[in-house]
Amino acid sequence: MLTFLALTSVALLGIVPEQSQAIVIYTGWERHALVGSDIRLSCSFFSWRWTSEDVTFSWTYRPDGSRDAISIFHYTGGAAYLDNKGPFRDRLEFVGNPGRRDGSILLKSLELSDNGTFTCDAKNPPDIVGRPSSVRLLVFEKVPIQAGVITGAIIGVVLGLLVLIVVIYYLMRFLVARRVFSLSVSKHGKKKKEGSQQRQGPVPPADPSKIKV
Amino acid sequence: MLVLLAAIFVLHIACIIILLTATIDNAWWIVTAGNMPTDIWARWIFVNNSWHSVDFPSTYPQSYLQAVQASSVLACIFSIIGIFVFVAQLFTLAKGQRFLISGVFQFFACLCIMIAASIYTDQFHNDEKNLGSYGHCFILAWIAFALTFLSSVIYFVLRKKTAE
Repeated sequence: MLTFLALTSVALLGIVPEQSQAIVIYTGWERHALVGSDIRLSCSFFSWRWTSEDVTFSWTYRPDGSRDAISIFHYTGGAAYLDNKGPFRDRLEFVGNPGRRDGSILLKSLELSDNGTFTCDAKNPPDIVGRPSSVRLLVFEKVPIQAGVITGAIIGVVLGLLVLIVVIYYLMRFLVARRVFSLSVSKHGKKKKEGSQQRQGPVPPADPSKIKV
Repeated sequence: MLVLLAAIFVLHIACIIILLTATIDNAWWIVTAGNMPTDIWARWIFVNNSWHSVDFPSTYPQSYLQAVQASSVLACIFSIIGIFVFVAQLFTLAKGQRFLISGVFQFFACLCIMIAASIYTDQFHNDEKNLGSYGHCFILAWIAFALTFLSSVIYFVLRKKTAE
């Protein structure tokens, strides 16, 4: 019985990955950066196969408002080829680790004309069927305030202060009440002791000769 | 006594409703070209028999807009908490005491909506005075300021009596 189960599970493990063999590529969705700064565009993939030696990464760039994409980076056969003619010559650097399935690139000294969509395509032979993933780069002169951050911050701080004040108020009341209670208990205890001592005082010791039967 | 209590309760509820309308309904300013109500959350245009929301122009001071949003939301929150606190204090307060905490909440609501309306009056549409007019939400915000102030003063002055 056990061997039968083991055999079927091994067979299933062998069958399932064959059918769902597609490489899945992950990049960010949108990246914001300031003019003049550097930005790292990350790209990694998931594949059922082991990372092969012929793994390839390629990045293409499509400027905002243009329909054509140009290729700016290609990694193949263990070597990285950077853009040396296009808009990113001397501004591109490969910071990924293909052995770890990381094909990230570093863009230096960003300009306003770098706004656009960057597409990463990775292939892990024989796992080559997959959809390239795109990340949108937005370059700003000044980082804009994201919608709702200030609103949320103000509301959160004020409500937090309110809760804090209420908690502190009840805590103080509780502590003061406890101190008053413990003080009154100790006073009450002292009075009781003194009272019992006084009662024992005036009582004369029993005289055995005076006890009447 | 019961009539007075009902009147105060109705006043507070009216404050809440006015504050909520002023905060939620986007009509602090109406642009005459196209009858477009706008602020504080979105701007609406009527195209093809249906309303569409569009983004604010980039000339809007974003930080002030978010301050107005936060302030008006806080005013609503304080007023709503205040009504619950008032009902609680009605049952738990000792005779002869004042409804101080309810008054404090209404006062904070008054303060917040005053901050919101003031920032809006000062910072927005300064150069567009002939391109539009103030909408009903703006007017309601200032009315809410007056009513919440009145309500908080009543709470500060009112004393609890038995036989309600």
